Amino acid sequence: MNQINRISGGQIDRSRQIKFRFNGKWMRGHPGDTLASALMANGQQLVGRSFKYHRPRGIFTAGPEEPNALVELRSKAHQEPNTRATMVELYENLWATSQNHKGSLEFDLLAINDWFSPFLSAGFYYKTFMWPRSFWERIYEPVIRAAAGLGSLSMEEDPDAYDKGFLHCDILVIGSGPAGLMAALTAARSGARVILADEDFQMGGRLNSETYEIDGYPAAEWVAKTLEDFAGMDNVRIMKRTSVYGTYDHGIYGALERKTDHLAETNGAPRHVLWRIYSKRAILAAGATERPIAFADNDRPGIMLSGAVRSYVNRFGVTPGQEVAVFTNNDDGWRTARDLINKGVHVPAIIDSRDIAPRQKLPGTRIFMGQAVNATIGRKGLKAIGLTNEQVISCDALAVSGGWNPNVHLTCHQRGRPVWREDIHAFVPGKELPVGMSVAGATNGVLTLGASLQDGAQVAKNVLEDIGKAPVDIAIPQAEDEASDGQAFWHVKNDKKRAWLDLQNDVTVKDVKIANAEGFRSVELLKRYTTLGMATDQGKTSNIAGLAILAEEAGKTIPEVGTTIFRPPYTPVPIGAFAGRSRGKVFRPFRITPSHDWAAKNGASFVEVGNWLRAEWYARPGEKGWRDSVDREARMTRQSVGICDVTTLGKIDIQGRDAGAFLDKVYSNTFSTLPVGKVRYGLMLREDGICYDDGTTARMGERHYVMTTTTANAVLVYRRLEFARQCLWPNMDVHLISTTDGWAQFAVAGPKARDLLRKVVDVEHDLSNEAFPFMACGHVTVCNGMPARLFRISFSGELAFEIAVPSRYGNSMISVLMNAGEEFGAVPYGIEALGVMRIEKGHCTGNELNGQTTAHAIGAGKMVSQKKECIGNVLSQRAALTDENSERLVGLQPVEKDKDLIAGSHFITKGDTVNIANDQGWMTSVAYSPNLGHSVGLGFIKRGHERMGEIIRAVSPIHETEMDVEIVSPHFIDAEGTRLRD
Amino acid sequence: MIEYHLVAEPPLAGTDISIGGVRLAAQTEISIVSIALPLEQETEATAALEAAYKLALPESGHSIVASDGARVVRTALDQAFILLPEIQHSPERMVSEKLLETVYTTDQTDVWAALTLEGSGAVAVLERVCPLDLDPSLFPKNAAARTMMEHLGVLIIRTDDAAFLLLSASSSAASFLHMLKTSMVNVA
Repeated sequence: MNQINRISGGQIDRSRQIKFRFNGKWMRGHPGDTLASALMANGQQLVGRSFKYHRPRGIFTAGPEEPNALVELRSKAHQEPNTRATMVELYENLWATSQNHKGSLEFDLLAINDWFSPFLSAGFYYKTFMWPRSFWERIYEPVIRAAAGLGSLSMEEDPDAYDKGFLHCDILVIGSGPAGLMAALTAARSGARVILADEDFQMGGRLNSETYEIDGYPAAEWVAKTLEDFAGMDNVRIMKRTSVYGTYDHGIYGALERKTDHLAETNGAPRHVLWRIYSKRAILAAGATERPIAFADNDRPGIMLSGAVRSYVNRFGVTPGQEVAVFTNNDDGWRTARDLINKGVHVPAIIDSRDIAPRQKLPGTRIFMGQAVNATIGRKGLKAIGLTNEQVISCDALAVSGGWNPNVHLTCHQRGRPVWREDIHAFVPGKELPVGMSVAGATNGVLTLGASLQDGAQVAKNVLEDIGKAPVDIAIPQAEDEASDGQAFWHVKNDKKRAWLDLQNDVTVKDVKIANAEGFRSVELLKRYTTLGMATDQGKTSNIAGLAILAEEAGKTIPEVGTTIFRPPYTPVPIGAFAGRSRGKVFRPFRITPSHDWAAKNGASFVEVGNWLRAEWYARPGEKGWRDSVDREARMTRQSVGICDVTTLGKIDIQGRDAGAFLDKVYSNTFSTLPVGKVRYGLMLREDGICYDDGTTARMGERHYVMTTTTANAVLVYRRLEFARQCLWPNMDVHLISTTDGWAQFAVAGPKARDLLRKVVDVEHDLSNEAFPFMACGHVTVCNGMPARLFRISFSGELAFEIAVPSRYGNSMISVLMNAGEEFGAVPYGIEALGVMRIEKGHCTGNELNGQTTAHAIGAGKMVSQKKECIGNVLSQRAALTDENSERLVGLQPVEKDKDLIAGSHFITKGDTVNIANDQGWMTSVAYSPNLGHSVGLGFIKRGHERMGEIIRAVSPIHETEMDVEIVSPHFIDAEGTRLRD
Repeated sequence: MIEYHLVAEPPLAGTDISIGGVRLAAQTEISIVSIALPLEQETEATAALEAAYKLALPESGHSIVASDGARVVRTALDQAFILLPEIQHSPERMVSEKLLETVYTTDQTDVWAALTLEGSGAVAVLERVCPLDLDPSLFPKNAAARTMMEHLGVLIIRTDDAAFLLLSASSSAASFLHMLKTSMVNVA
C-alpha cells in the first residue's frame, strides 16, 4: 500500500523508511511517525471495532486520549492489548492487529449487535439478566464475558523485563508544551534541580502540532533551541516518553518511562521503568484535551478531533483524507481549515455552530455559519455529511472542534475538585491542589500561546520563591495570542439517530437521557450506570459533554451538576511495571545459612522459613522418601550424635549497665540474677498476657547478654526491644545490635555430642559435666584458636551443645564437625528431624505459641514472675487466662498405634456430638516417632494436666477422620531430663 | 592440638564485575566493630575516640576516616560502626582496648557483606534501587545512611564522588549482589 495520504512537511525523517504490519498487511512509514500517523498515511481509515455495537471505528485523536484506535501490539508472549495507536512510536517490523471483532476487521460478525442497539442501551444488563437467578453465573456471565472486552491477552508470561527507580528534584515540571518549557527554563536557570517529563517521544507538546511562531522561529525550532539550552545544564533532567501518572503524598509522583517500546530489538533491557519522583514542588503543565461535539452517527471512521488533524498535518505530514470538512463551535476549527489549505488539502466546507460573521475567507471552502452537522454517510469510512440546513457535503474526513478541556487529572488525585469557568466553558483546577503542586498554562485555563509562555515563567518564579531560591528573570519569548472565542455547544439534537459521547464505551446521548429519566442523576451514578468515562481513556474526550447533556436534561447548570474526579493512573500502566523486577525466584530476597552449599551437596532439600532457606532433611541414596531420611536422622541423633544448622535463630547482643534489669522487664522470668556463664530459657509475653516468643538468653559477661529468638520472630522481637528501650525505659543503659548473621551456629546433639566436640574445641576448655554443665555457656576457641561461643542447651532432649563460629567459617565448620563425628556415625539433621525430636521431648514452637496461648497453657505459668514488673504480667493474671478449666499442653498418642495422628484435629469426649460446644481442645503438632515406633502429638485440652490416661476422640471434619487417642505427658522421651544433664 | 582447621569463606568473595563503566567488587578485607556509647558516659567515650583515632565522633548520617584508614560511621544516636581496613583476628577486643573500654563493642564483621560500587554511572545504578537523594550537595563524600534497597537493609557510605561502599546482611548476600548487578545491567 502506498502512503497515499502523505503530504509535505512535518517532523518525520523522510530519508528513512520503516516497514510495519497491520492485520498482516505490510505498510511503510518514517521515523517520527506514530502507528496512527503511519496508518493514516497509508489510507487505513478503519482501525477497530467499537466495544458494544462493534461499529467500525477510525483514528479519533493524536494523543493519549484516544478512545478508538486501540490495537494489539506485537505477537505471541509479547502481545499487548488495548495499545493506543496514537501513542505508539513506529519502529521497524512493528506488528499490530486490530481487536474486538469476530471474523475480519472489515466483516465483523458481532456487528449484528448494532442491529439490536435499541435493546442494548444503558442499564440493559441490569434490567435483562435478573432471572432466573441461577442463570447468572452459569449462563449469562460466561456468554457476556466472552462477547465483551476489547483486546485479548496472550495468556503467556510476560517475557519483558521491567524496573523501578527513585528520582529527586526541587521542581518537577509535568508537560513540555509552552508553559512547561518556560517553567522548566526559568527554574533551571535559577539553579533549581529540575525534572521535565513528557509522555511524548518528542518534547514540545502542542508546539509540534501548530504553525505558531515564537521569537520569529517556527515553534518546533524554538523547542529544539530551548532543549539545546537544557543540554548544557547538569541540574536538569529531561525525560521524554515518561508519563507522570499519579500524584501521591508528600510531593511524590509516579511516572512510567517507556524505555524500549520504540525499539525493534531490546536485548533484554527493561521495557519500562516505574519511577517514584520525590519533588519539593511540582508544576503541572499538562495542556488541554480537545472535546468533540455529539451529532448523529458521529463515530464514523474519518471523523476526528480538529486539533488532532493539525497534529497529523503539521507534525506528521499526513492528511486524514483528500476532502476534509471542519465542524466547529469556536475559533480553533478555523485554524485547522487554514492549516489544511496551506498544505494543499481541499477543505470543502467549514460549519460553525455560531451564528456570527465568518472568521475569515477561505478560498474554495463553503462556509456555513449558525449550522451544524446532523448526519453522516459511509459505514466503514466517511463519504458525506448532512447539515442542519439539509445541505449534503461530500468529504472523506471531518475535523470536529468543541473547545478545549484543561487536563486537570493530576490535580484531582488527592480529592481536589475542579471548578467551572464559564468564559472558557470548561473545568479548571480548583483551589485545593495536592500539596506542593502549582498549575500553569492550558491546564490552568490559559488557552493561548503568548499567555501560556508568560504563565509558565511566572508560575515557576512563584514556586522558586516558595522554596527559597531567587528566580532569575528571563525574557518571555514573543508570540501571538491566537483567537480563541467559542460557544457552549455540546450536541446536535436528533431524535432518530444515535449521537456518540463516549466512543470507547459506546455511550450515546440517548444513554445519558435514559440515566436521567431513570433517576441516575448524580454524575457518579451516571458514570456507573452508563459506563461513561470508563476503560483505558477514562473519558478524556467524553466526560464533559456527558455531564453537559445531563445538566441540560435535568434543567441545571453544569456547575450544579458537577464533575467526577480522577484517580491515578492518568493513563494505563502495565501491571509488569508495578511488579518491576520482583518476579519469579527473585520476587523477594532470600537468606541462606553459612552451611547452605555443604547441605546442598549432601542431599539436603530446603524449605522457606521466612526469608531463610533451611535444610528439611538430608536424603541418602536408597532412601525412598522423606520419612526414611527424617526417621534415620532422628534415630541416629538419639543413638549417637546429630548436627543441625541453627544459624537462623535470631541473635541479639544486649549490653549495658542495665541489661539484666531490662531483660527482667521484657521477659516474664528473671535474668538479672543469672550468673555469668549461664543460659536461661525465657518466655516473652505480649502486653495482653499471651505468649509472644521464647528462646534462651546467655549471660556472656557482667553487662553482656546474648538473646536468641525464634527464627520467625527475630525481627519482631528486635523491634520490640528497641521500642522498649527507646520509648518505655529510655533512662536505662541498654544497647542492642543484631548478630544473627554474624555467627554460624550448630546444634550438636546426642550421647556422643561431648565426645565429638572434644575433637573440635581446643583442649584448654574443659567440657566435662562438672566444668560445663547443662545450661552453661562461654567463650571458647576451636580448631586451634578460632574464637567461638559454646552453649550447653538442648532442644532435642539429648545431651547437646550449640557451637557458634564467625559465619565466614560456617561452611568449613560443618565439614569439620562431620569429619570429627565420622567415628560416631554422626548425621546432619534437618528441621523435620528437629521437629520430631522436639515433639518427642514436648518442647513448644510456633504451633503451640500461636498467639492464642498463655504461659499457663504451656505449663509455664510459674515462670510469669509477679515479684517484678514486666510486659504482660498484669494482664496474664486475668481470670480467663489462669482458669484451671482452660486448655493445658498435653502429649497424645493413638490408641491403635499403627494410626497416624492428624494435626488440627479437635478433641471430643467419647459419646458427645461433634460440635463447637463440645470442643475440648486441639492437636497442635504431630510426628511419627522412630524412637517409639508410633505417632506422637502435642495438643491443648481443657484441664489436660489432670486427665492423663484418658481416652478421647481426635476428630478432623476436614480430613473426615476420627480416632481414639490417649492423653499422656508431653514428655515422651526422658521425662526426667537425665539425658540433657548427663 | 586439634587436627582440624577452619577456612574462611566470606560471602561474595572474588566478586569483581564491570558493566558499562561501573565496577562492583566485594570488599572482604574489612573488619567491622559496632560501638555503643554508655548512657550518661558519652563524654568519656567520645574523648577516648578522639584520643585513639584523632577524630570527633561524626554526626548521624556522616562518617570520618582516621589517619590509619579506620572509618567511623555514626549509625544511630548512641551507636557507631568502626570499619577497619583489614581483617583482624579479634577486632572487637582491639577496638575495645583502643577506646579504653569506654564503649560497648560488638564484632559485626561477619554480620555484613560489603560491596564497593565505583564509576561515573554509579549513581544511575543506585537510582534503580536506592530511595535516597544521592545528589552531592545532600549526600557528599563520607555521608552515610541506613536505608532499604529492594527489601534489603543497606548501610550506604559515599567514599568518593563516584564511589560507594554498601553493606548488607551477609545471609542475603546473594540477593544483595543480584540487586546491584541487575541495576548495572539495566542501566548499561
